[in-house]
Amino acid sequence: MSQSGATVSQDCITAFNDLKLAKKYKYIVYKLSDDNRQIEVEKASDDKDWENFREQLVNAQTKSKSGQIGKGPRYAIYDFEYSLASGEGSRNKICFIAWSPDDAGVMAKMVYASSKEALKRSLNGIATELQANDQDDIEYDTVLKVVSKGLAG
Amino acid sequence: MASQQPLPNSQPPMDVYGGDEVSALVLDAGYCHTRAGFAGEDVPKSVLPSFYGSLKSTNTDSTTASYRDIFGDECLIPRPDFEIKNYMSRSESVVEDWDAATKMWEHMLIKRLQPEKETPPSNNGLNDPAEDGEGNVAMDDVENQERPLAENPLLMTEAPWNSGKAREKAIEIVMENWGCPAFWMSRTPVCAAFAAGKASALVIDVGGANTSVTAIHDGLVLKRSIQKSPIGGLWLSSQIRTMWANSDPRVDIVPSYMVENKTPVDAGAPAQARLRKFPFEFTPSFRHYEEERLLTEFKESVVEVWRGPGRYSNPGNEELVKSQPGRVFEMPDGANQMWREQRYRIAEGMWDEAAALPTPDAEVKIQTIPELIKAALSNVDVDLRPNLLANVVVTGGTSLLNGFNDRLNNELMAMYPGMKIKLHAAGLTTERRFGAWIGGSILASLGTFHQMWISRKEYEENGAGIVEKRCK
Repeated sequence: MSQSGATVSQDCITAFNDLKLAKKYKYIVYKLSDDNRQIEVEKASDDKDWENFREQLVNAQTKSKSGQIGKGPRYAIYDFEYSLASGEGSRNKICFIAWSPDDAGVMAKMVYASSKEALKRSLNGIATELQANDQDDIEYDTVLKVVSKGLAG
Repeated sequence: MASQQPLPNSQPPMDVYGGDEVSALVLDAGYCHTRAGFAGEDVPKSVLPSFYGSLKSTNTDSTTASYRDIFGDECLIPRPDFEIKNYMSRSESVVEDWDAATKMWEHMLIKRLQPEKETPPSNNGLNDPAEDGEGNVAMDDVENQERPLAENPLLMTEAPWNSGKAREKAIEIVMENWGCPAFWMSRTPVCAAFAAGKASALVIDVGGANTSVTAIHDGLVLKRSIQKSPIGGLWLSSQIRTMWANSDPRVDIVPSYMVENKTPVDAGAPAQARLRKFPFEFTPSFRHYEEERLLTEFKESVVEVWRGPGRYSNPGNEELVKSQPGRVFEMPDGANQMWREQRYRIAEGMWDEAAALPTPDAEVKIQTIPELIKAALSNVDVDLRPNLLANVVVTGGTSLLNGFNDRLNNELMAMYPGMKIKLHAAGLTTERRFGAWIGGSILASLGTFHQMWISRKEYEENGAGIVEKRCK
């Protein structure tokens, strides 16, 4: 398949394991390095407020080769927690989000789309994957519906 | 409705897409046009019709004839004994005539894209007579000629239904004839989806000879989903031909090359033009090609897709259109008329089979776009469908028809009520026309991509079968 060949830094996997096993973080935002060669951790945080996480994605930027700053795609891992509508307690699901805003540059979109598999394959234990292209796609309720398959209360 | 179709890049990009690998070339072949250029650039440097000319010349003994192939739009001009051919297959949009394909690609990749090689001083004529010591230099020159692209990795795009044999043939030409150091083949819908920032998408490619619908999941083509139908640009042309032949008075297609001068006439009046006289007959294929130019202009400026909701044939729609301003189209010979309701009928057959006008070559059933989509989705896993419908990528030059995306959106909403449907169509016309080329251009320009290329060494060790193994 057509892939960019970008590599995944060890930090990406360490941070993911800290989130998954040690519950150290609530979310991790990954980005490609400026030379598009490697996927790195941009931010790992234990902030539980979805809106702050969302802001992080919405305001993400990418620098093009000529140095222009524009909207940027990102990858993110979010440890989603929700309670079931049936009252059978709460669930935790690790969600992978491929964020690629429609108004980002075509180069950035292409590089992120063709590098996604590399990161996804390095992270074991992702329950749900989400492809998000505009701000509506990363509203809490939209994501909750997808992650919980409509079972959240 | 506009919100369904984001036009993110209505401004031309201020910078080239940039890249590390400057020497890689990208080749994207279609039935109507072949696009070639340098990886990292935002548009292909060379876009030529896949149609080429074959010039017949009778040899001196006047019993045998030889043919010379001529490439490039500017060379397709009135000449005697001149046939227009195409190296691609119209029904499949894959290479049909490999000899012609090789020549065409060489013309583009080597003649048009490579700097002219300096003639070595030994044989540029300035040092004549050179009686001694030019042997080595001449040998080097021959060596270079044999491997004209020895420094350029080449990325080629292909239709998702391209055969394994055709892929092997391609790598053989690239490696054996041109001496490329590395090769890669990408499928056009994958390039288009990636360029839209999506690893999973339903790609609707409305091209010149074919319209295809392909589901992509995590960067892989879902083979069973692939659907295609000849309802592309050329099919629209044949619809226009039928309409013009049957209209009263009949609309004659007089291509530009036949007109010497014209006098302005009122709308609907017969043309007053003097036609050029040629001392030779034209081949039907040349005439047809020239007519196609005129039809393309008509498609670009007059034809419009009924936006919906619902079909154009629904009661009231035609009356509504009749009350709205039409568009005037002037033929090369000066004849002109106003097109109102007819201009919607041409593209309606893409959506509504009953509305398609009869065409001479309609022996096969033409699948409409809604039928293609339905068939494609019914062949993919039920769980994947919602995500595909929320990520519909529209590409291909014919999708630039006015109103196309609005109609597509309406059709999808009617077919899949309650589902989230979102279309993605690039705002820039170049990104729509060259979507797959641009995707390939970015990929081939990435510094990290060098580890993905099939290298010459791998090819030499494994043979042409390596393409099937690597380019999944």
